[in-house]
Amino acid sequence: MTPPVRTEEGGGHFGGRPPGALLSVRGLSKHYGGIQALDGVSLEIHAGQVHALVGANGAGKSTLVRILAGVETADEGEVSLGGRRVSISAPQDATKLGLSFIHQELNLVPKFTVLQNMALNYEGSRRLGLVDWRPVAARAGDVLAQLGADFPLDREVADLSVSQRWTVSLGRSLMRDARMVAMDEPTASFAADEAERLFAIVRDLAARGVAVLYISHRLDEVLDLSQDITVLRNGQLADRHRASDVDRQTLTRSIVGREVAEIERHEGSPDTVRDALMRIEGLVREPSVRGVTLDVRRGEILGIAGLVGAGRTELARLVFGAERAASGTMTLDGRRFEPKGPHEAIARGVALVPEERRSQGLLLKESLAFNVSLASSGQNRWRRGLPFLSAGKARAVAREMVERFAIKAHSVEADVESLSGGNQQKVVVSKYLRCQPRLLILDEPTVGVDVGARAELYEIIRARADAGTSVVMISSDFEEFAICDRVAVMREGRIETVVDGPHATKDTLTSLCYGTGAAGS
Amino acid sequence: MSEVTTPPQIAGPGHVEASGRDLNWWRVVGRYGAILVLLSIIVVFTVLEPSTFATKDNAINILNQSALVAIVAMGLTFPLVAGEFDLSVGYQASFGGVLAAGLIQKSGFPIPAAIGTVLVVTGLVGLITGLIVTRIGVNALIATLGVGTIVLGVNYAYTGGLPVQIDDPEGFIKLTFNSLFGIPYPVYVMLILAALLWVVLNRTSFGQSVQAVGGNAEAARLSGIRVDRVRVLTFMIAASCAGLTGVLLASRTGSGAVDGGDSYLLSAFAATFFGSAVLRDGQFHIVGTLIGVVTVAVGFNAMAILGLDTYYQYLFQGTLLIFAVGVGTVARRQAAARA
Repeated sequence: MTPPVRTEEGGGHFGGRPPGALLSVRGLSKHYGGIQALDGVSLEIHAGQVHALVGANGAGKSTLVRILAGVETADEGEVSLGGRRVSISAPQDATKLGLSFIHQELNLVPKFTVLQNMALNYEGSRRLGLVDWRPVAARAGDVLAQLGADFPLDREVADLSVSQRWTVSLGRSLMRDARMVAMDEPTASFAADEAERLFAIVRDLAARGVAVLYISHRLDEVLDLSQDITVLRNGQLADRHRASDVDRQTLTRSIVGREVAEIERHEGSPDTVRDALMRIEGLVREPSVRGVTLDVRRGEILGIAGLVGAGRTELARLVFGAERAASGTMTLDGRRFEPKGPHEAIARGVALVPEERRSQGLLLKESLAFNVSLASSGQNRWRRGLPFLSAGKARAVAREMVERFAIKAHSVEADVESLSGGNQQKVVVSKYLRCQPRLLILDEPTVGVDVGARAELYEIIRARADAGTSVVMISSDFEEFAICDRVAVMREGRIETVVDGPHATKDTLTSLCYGTGAAGS
Repeated sequence: MSEVTTPPQIAGPGHVEASGRDLNWWRVVGRYGAILVLLSIIVVFTVLEPSTFATKDNAINILNQSALVAIVAMGLTFPLVAGEFDLSVGYQASFGGVLAAGLIQKSGFPIPAAIGTVLVVTGLVGLITGLIVTRIGVNALIATLGVGTIVLGVNYAYTGGLPVQIDDPEGFIKLTFNSLFGIPYPVYVMLILAALLWVVLNRTSFGQSVQAVGGNAEAARLSGIRVDRVRVLTFMIAASCAGLTGVLLASRTGSGAVDGGDSYLLSAFAATFFGSAVLRDGQFHIVGTLIGVVTVAVGFNAMAILGLDTYYQYLFQGTLLIFAVGVGTVARRQAAARA
């Protein structure tokens, strides 16, 4: 049924692969209000292949996936599966067709066990309308064994790590014999070791004939993992690449539509001993933080590298007063620092841009102006000494931030929910910068942020440090540490070592994270 | 299916145009539907009953009828905005009335002192409720139901179940009976309190915090807002407002009845939820609450003028609430789907 259309780059693609795509999408379009989110996009996904979908935030990746998942309906265009035209108007349709979707928010029930979650909506074994658990458990056990899962079926999902939860989510798809699995930013919150496991699983999945649609901002893994790469830009098909024929630079160029420089490596000045703004000594909060001793110098950018579970987020939350330490001391500017809550930390000039932008950083239904002023509304007083706020000042501040940080929004009254991930992150960062922190901690600041906005965020951070603010940046993307003066490596609740900027290469840091590297500095 | 088989060239532009129109229309319905209901009642009855309904005296009467519910409802708006519930406001209103009458009659308090004491005591009850919710972590529905029931028990204990009559009610009754420029005092109390609470909720750091806590408590906490303290304060505001209504109710009747204010609970909830569908997308706010109270009062008044039985009032109030909130919900969903 599928006409043998060959696209301009398509000619060379068909060698050595089964003829005819498993899933083929033609001329898909979708608009929201006046915005054309998707404009005549076509792509073909083959069984047994990993097809990567890349593009900046707002390029239309999510819209495409939502249409395939039956969450949205396309304005025009068609979807064929195995050469037959199909209509996907509800999520159940997609499931029946064997299309499976693992979103960033894994739709698991935390209070349920692994088995209960995997059995949700599983039609496999019903007897007289009741679930017959034995075959379900057997099937779930098989699936998890294939995925190399290291946790039992009766474990509550709430007790699993992020990557384990992801495995459960994938397992649930495989229970239903998925023919295609779409994964949205799967490694966003994974660390290197877990990501490697995931890659192995994805490769294995493809080897068993499943088609994988892999959506990621991390170009290294896209290049490593996939065979075909489709690049979307502004809702349109920008480029199709064969993974073996492109490099990172080319791919970045086709995502952005222009040249971007790789992260500019900051040449640290290790000779200048700047005195410490904050000293942390023997900070403990079991089980994640097990005795951290660390200095943060004035005006430096200190990276914190580590694997997931190393205790980095927990350390940041202790410093910010979001959690209380069991023991250990902190001093800020030589004075004792024991925040009873974030309000005290902010009052002393310590701010944390939290890991979860949407759930911890923003009030999605409120305006950009509201969000920007949230941590500093006292500064919007109509007149000193009076408790009343000026709405005009809140708008003015928001406009200033919009301009200074190039936040793209049609108005400061717009809901932050309507902004793209990168712009949302800039709103969170502005919110905390407005508090004029002396120590700014950023936890995974560029997750889900597109290449262009990422570079802008780095500039904001660098400028702030040059102005004297100390910055601590936690990241799982070790290439980001190029902007740091020093990088602390955290492992199993302690600081393993601190590496000077020029030595903080991805490879060095990775090996240090595993506790196998030679001391860096 | 037909959509898929339609030639895309035709389907595309047609869709764009249609949703552009629908979007605006649904927005209007969602935000202004509830106000349109109010206006249409007013217009219809102005035409039908120009001599009884559409008079200045009747308008003042309606506002006077609204005042007591409005004060409870505007207070209740605070915990609701913060994402909490307060089921104790009705009992607190009764308590306020009983306590005011008792202090004046039994303890010989001067009227201002009695009012002040009621506001402080009900505020303290709100403080206790708030601490139970925030410190112990009892769900607000249960905590306020429990505290409300205890307050009811205290009412009985304090009065023996009988209304507290004030022997010389003259001065106390003046509070609600007297007028200034032809408008009764309670209307002023309602309007001044509305202005004050609006400013507090929309133009102070505390008010921003209340909204933030209701929107996303964790984000609020990480923004340096003392979430528990904000929650406790909202319960105190709701309780004191209920207490104030109790005082005015006792003044109106010249006595404090054990269950005099209980019915304000449902009226206040109805008004606040109706109000959440006014002008905003399902968020509670002071102006909405006020419009909610007035809409119900206008409806009741119109039915009284028509001479309808009392049960019509309840049918009306229930239907109105579901209709307004339902239309708002559907309209938002449609507007969002077409956005």
